[in-house]
Amino acid sequence: MQIYLPIAEMTVPVESILLLGTFVGFLSGVFGVGGGFLTTPFLIFMGIPPAVAVGTQANQLVAASVSGVMGHWRKGNVDIQIGTVMLIGGLLGSLVGVFVFKLLQMLGQIDFMISFLYVVFLGSVGLMMLLESIFSFFKKKTVRSEFNSQKLSPFFMALPYKMRFPRSKLYISALVPAAIGFVGGLMVAIMGIGGGFLLVPAMIYILGMPTLLVAGTSLFQIIFTTAFATLMHAVANHTVDAVLAILLIVGGVIGAQVGVKLSRMITGAHARIVLAIMVLIVCIQLGGQLVVRPDELYSTVIR
Amino acid sequence: MRKLFIFVVLLSCLPFFGAQAQERGLTIDLANDRVDITAGFTGAHLALFGVKNGPGQVAVVIRGPEKTMLVRRKESALGIWFNKRSLKFRKVPVYYDYALSVPESKLATPETLKKNGIGLNALKFDPDTWRDKPEYAQSFQEALIRNKQAEGLFPLKPRRINFLDDNFFRASFYVPSNVPTGEYEVQSFLIRDGAVVDVRTTALNVGQAGLEAKIYKFAYGQSLAYGLLCVLIAVIAGWSANAIRLRT
Repeated sequence: MQIYLPIAEMTVPVESILLLGTFVGFLSGVFGVGGGFLTTPFLIFMGIPPAVAVGTQANQLVAASVSGVMGHWRKGNVDIQIGTVMLIGGLLGSLVGVFVFKLLQMLGQIDFMISFLYVVFLGSVGLMMLLESIFSFFKKKTVRSEFNSQKLSPFFMALPYKMRFPRSKLYISALVPAAIGFVGGLMVAIMGIGGGFLLVPAMIYILGMPTLLVAGTSLFQIIFTTAFATLMHAVANHTVDAVLAILLIVGGVIGAQVGVKLSRMITGAHARIVLAIMVLIVCIQLGGQLVVRPDELYSTVIR
Repeated sequence: MRKLFIFVVLLSCLPFFGAQAQERGLTIDLANDRVDITAGFTGAHLALFGVKNGPGQVAVVIRGPEKTMLVRRKESALGIWFNKRSLKFRKVPVYYDYALSVPESKLATPETLKKNGIGLNALKFDPDTWRDKPEYAQSFQEALIRNKQAEGLFPLKPRRINFLDDNFFRASFYVPSNVPTGEYEVQSFLIRDGAVVDVRTTALNVGQAGLEAKIYKFAYGQSLAYGLLCVLIAVIAGWSANAIRLRT
């Protein structure tokens, strides 16, 4: 069945969008990742304008992160205080991001930039995950879990505006979590991803937050940055397609239910290898488009 | 607006002027004077029926609203391909298609066709720079046509006009699902011995309709409220997804 997307101004097959949403929801159920890194490139492969793909994806992520944070919230694994500081940076980041996006669009470099950023981020994260999971797969020894003892480097310790974060047992400059949030906000607005795969390691290794609190806290702030980015994209760029978003969300809800059930049957190391390979495939596909001479060098847009 | 008004008045007087000299040359009717883009829109067939009086050949042209088009060219630097040079063309129709009763060469001279805007070669391209370097602008212009053809918005070749008898004819068009919205113009020409003897112009409205149109209007008219609603829907969906998961 075909459906016309009023904002993208094109017709797409409903099944493939639902399937994409389901697959991504499934991934988030199994691996706990947002899946934005797969949705945005896929929508662009389907011919949906990159601006609409990113704006709509931000909207989809609101639903995904609300649903994801609730479990952590009930267990009390959200540090609202540090999350709020990150959020201030995050809102600023998505505000800047939306305008950078608009600027890149005017310069005609948005497709290139999205692909380029994806290749860089997915390439490095995918490779790290693959090495780590292969390593742990062969060693069979569990990985280090003593992250909390990590000390901030002298540079971060010397920064002003120190705050106490009792929930995370930290006494650090508020600038550090705000800066991490800022980068997350930029990624939401420019790439249409929550940025969890960058926020989570940064919160563990740079802030030294307790691992238990990290996932919930990053999701907590992602809800607000994605909601804000959705609003900004809707107002400044008119690139949020409600029909597309609803299809993705519905697919995601179905997929997540299946994914959570299946995740109990899959071992961590296996799952991570599969996810890493998937990330790398998307990365190679996008990277190929950047380096191979395109069949058609010219492109036309209405101004 | 005023020019348009005068044009319309002149056009409506045309049959009276014509009646003195000769009989009405062409009578045409579009089966539908609007294309409604609804949720299930996958493109639309358009049929134009017409009767010509006396000998001559017929040409029909459909033209979308004119917009400025920006053509960009990818170039390679450090092994990576990205957009570099660009050229703007003013007043290019977003959609163009045409149908002929005989091939262009037999219809009229290229000059006559060009003057009346019949055929892809007749489209006027007005680049905003490089007027001094026409060969450079030429490659961008060709690319624009190629891009539009690839999207199905410009024709690869003219469509055929079918005659049901000596004077009664039908032209069929197909607009794809990605057709841009706006006010379209359908022009029909009666060409006798290489000269245009009658022109009829009809309007065709291409627009979103139903729920799709409401969403579009909402998104552009009250973008803040639209954005808030989108976020609200997502929050409710995310929350209820979690609630369902807990219960099962």
